[in-house]
Amino acid sequence: MSFLKYPFWDVVKHAFSKEVWDTLWPAVWDTLYMVVLSAVITLVLGVLLGIGLSVISKDGVRPIPVLNETASTIVNCLRSLPQMIMIIVTLPLARMLLGQSYGVNACIIALAASCIPMYARLVQGAIVEIPKGKIEAAKAMGSSSAAIVFRIMLPEAIPSIIRGFTVALIGIISMTALAGSFGAGGIGDIAVRFGFNRFYHDMLIASVLVLIVMVEIAQIFGDLFSNLILRKRHLI
Amino acid sequence: MGAYIRIEDLHKTFKNKKEKIEVLRGIDLEINKGEIYGIVGFSGAGKSTLVRCINRLEEPDSGKVWIGDTEITALNKKQLTERRRKIGMIFQQFNLFDSMTVYQNIAYPLTLVKTPKKEIEEKVSKLLELVGLSDKKDAYPGSLSGGQKQRVGIARALANDPDVLLSDEATSALDPVSTLAILDLLEQINDELGVTIIMITHELEAAKRICGKVAVLENGRMIESGTTQDIFLDPKSSTGKIFLEVYKEFRHKSTFAGGEGI
Repeated sequence: MSFLKYPFWDVVKHAFSKEVWDTLWPAVWDTLYMVVLSAVITLVLGVLLGIGLSVISKDGVRPIPVLNETASTIVNCLRSLPQMIMIIVTLPLARMLLGQSYGVNACIIALAASCIPMYARLVQGAIVEIPKGKIEAAKAMGSSSAAIVFRIMLPEAIPSIIRGFTVALIGIISMTALAGSFGAGGIGDIAVRFGFNRFYHDMLIASVLVLIVMVEIAQIFGDLFSNLILRKRHLI
Repeated sequence: MGAYIRIEDLHKTFKNKKEKIEVLRGIDLEINKGEIYGIVGFSGAGKSTLVRCINRLEEPDSGKVWIGDTEITALNKKQLTERRRKIGMIFQQFNLFDSMTVYQNIAYPLTLVKTPKKEIEEKVSKLLELVGLSDKKDAYPGSLSGGQKQRVGIARALANDPDVLLSDEATSALDPVSTLAILDLLEQINDELGVTIIMITHELEAAKRICGKVAVLENGRMIESGTTQDIFLDPKSSTGKIFLEVYKEFRHKSTFAGGEGI
């Protein structure tokens, strides 16, 4: 139903009809699949990369200037590509690795390439913000570098790392919607094919609602987890 | 008996792009085993840097630091990490780990040397008793007061039975009552465990209360040192005099205001 032909409220009401959701549900599942898979990849590799970056940085536990410069440059290069460009750039790569450049799995490469560096920087920021004195106290007690990283830095930074992950997750959700218009499927695909090309505005409204709900859930749970930890530690 | 901690001609310069700041300009210091040694001076005199050179949180440019028969400044990274386990340190900002409970904070240094769990439990409860925080075992540092935090800091610093305890302005962030309690605790530790304590402070009252000997630092040089009594009764240097004047005046004022002084 289009706004051009039908009254506003009729279109809005139709956005909740079975007809619309029969088409939308499979797309929602596709989107969730992409989001969850990319989120897991981003979480694991992003945290590792973030820790690595902060360990080898100039003021890190084990500074390695050459590697730090190289890694930083690569991360900055990946981060300077807008998400849309990243999707286009990684299409040939997806064809090479997966045999096809469209579909749900193909877009995960682009999502990971875009979101891992972004999240790694957020993790690095969370670690840098740990008061220097705590790291010094750990050093003064004779901690090894590994103990400092895994027993002090990570646990101390966990609330901020979770907050950062909420930001990254919302980024991933918005990027899956974008990837939809490049053949990835999912809600973005529905919004473009039905909502934009064919003026199915009821579909468009339903897609928007799904995206809002997803982001809202991500934010609520992110805040909840991070606040739970902070409250347990009596920091808020 | 020879001195237990010896510092010979210690130099340290901080460099940034624009300027060089000479923080330590040749410090010589001898501290006997079992002493409480105070290092006093105004802000920027180099007190903190000096004490941080002892466990090499700061690398001195030149000079030597000895503790017992070990030349700290000659240790490699691995040896230093091991030696540091026997040098306790407490800080102005406490630097407790917020992610760990009081128990875990105190147990942390013990886990670094792979102590059996049962031994850790015994040791930690003994330390908690010593610092009077047995009931706060499972609390997180975030819920403690400043004085309590510093007690945990002291217990943590003592966990591996150190022979030296470095105190970097440990009472400067505390109220007068907590300050006195912490000073008494330090004195008690020194008495019962025989730990040598090096205490930096800008609060003369603190040094006067528990230190046997005191050194006065100014602009990276040690301008005076001796027994606490000598320094306080008859300061030779201008800093020593100014320090004492300021201190007396402050004491006078606070007495005048109805207080008991600090």
